Amino acid sequence: MIFVAIIIGCLIGALIGINSPIIPYTYSGYLAIAIIAALDSVFGGIYATINKNFDLKIFVSGFFGNAILSILLTYLGQKLNVDIYLAAIVVFVGRMFNNLAIIRRHYLNKFIEYREEKKKKDMDKKEV
Amino acid sequence: MKKIEFKVDNIAVSVVMFIVCVSLISVMFMQFKTVEETDITEIESMRETELRETLSEWKTKYEQTNEKLEDTKNKIEEYNQKMEKNEETSVLIDKELEQSKLNIGKTDVEGEGVVIKLNDNDDNDIIASDLIELINELRYAGAEAISINDIRIINSTEIVDLDNFSYISVGEQRLESPYVVKAIGNQTYLSSILNLKDSGYIDKYKNSGKSVEFETKKKVEILKYNGDMNYKYLEIEEDQ
Repeated sequence: MIFVAIIIGCLIGALIGINSPIIPYTYSGYLAIAIIAALDSVFGGIYATINKNFDLKIFVSGFFGNAILSILLTYLGQKLNVDIYLAAIVVFVGRMFNNLAIIRRHYLNKFIEYREEKKKKDMDKKEV
Repeated sequence: MKKIEFKVDNIAVSVVMFIVCVSLISVMFMQFKTVEETDITEIESMRETELRETLSEWKTKYEQTNEKLEDTKNKIEEYNQKMEKNEETSVLIDKELEQSKLNIGKTDVEGEGVVIKLNDNDDNDIIASDLIELINELRYAGAEAISINDIRIINSTEIVDLDNFSYISVGEQRLESPYVVKAIGNQTYLSSILNLKDSGYIDKYKNSGKSVEFETKKKVEILKYNGDMNYKYLEIEEDQ
């Protein structure tokens, strides 16, 4: 059910994105930051799922809140002539890599455990 | 990949995930498209500093072109002035040409002057030397143009007797009596010099028995010289 919703959502999103008009270049910078923030939230969500403390409210608020906040901060940076979007990118991408590393380790461990179990089972069968 | 492990309604989670995916993916694709498009249209993708640089470049180019335009305009002005000068000089040259023509007798002229008629009579014929003397006298008196029987007398006009004084050749044309000599010049000078008592031309010739008639006119017309003026042996000295 959830997976189907995700796949259909991705397809419809792609269709909308392809058929949408081009954004003016000045705004595409803000959008890029928003995308990075959203992706960070997604990976955070995956990490939370692995840790088994996923909260839909936190995920959704993080997803939209981070995006909007990052846009606002970038705008503020532009007004102040400070490249705040660089800080946002550093934070978001750094966290993304952290989360990815945790996810990778989790699934690697799972995979190794699975193989060891298989080996054990095979050994047991041979012994039997 | 996402495992939901709590007791939230599955449908609500699905709907939320659907919305999240749609928004994220659509925005991402929009961004991809924008980035691709702006790569093609360079100006929009340029940063402000780059734009400033190009702007200043164009400004300098504009200034240079403006300078060139100014130069060219000045040149055109110069050429125009030169052209005007040329026109002026051509007008001057035309005037000079007119003057030269007048000087050498290439134009019909008129003005106050005198008319002298010389006739052969029974006793005396008019000969070339009579005419030559008359013309000399006229020139001495300031005549500006002279003709004999409407043949203009210029520098090269000859006046000679031909066939043993039977007729006179003036400007390669044979003339016979009566000889009408017209002269343009100051009337009073001309008449006073010609009419000097005893020593003047009229008196002298009348006394020697030749028929001479003198007349002053307000308007004497003298035709232009009709012959050729080709010089075969003359060359303009170049050193001067």
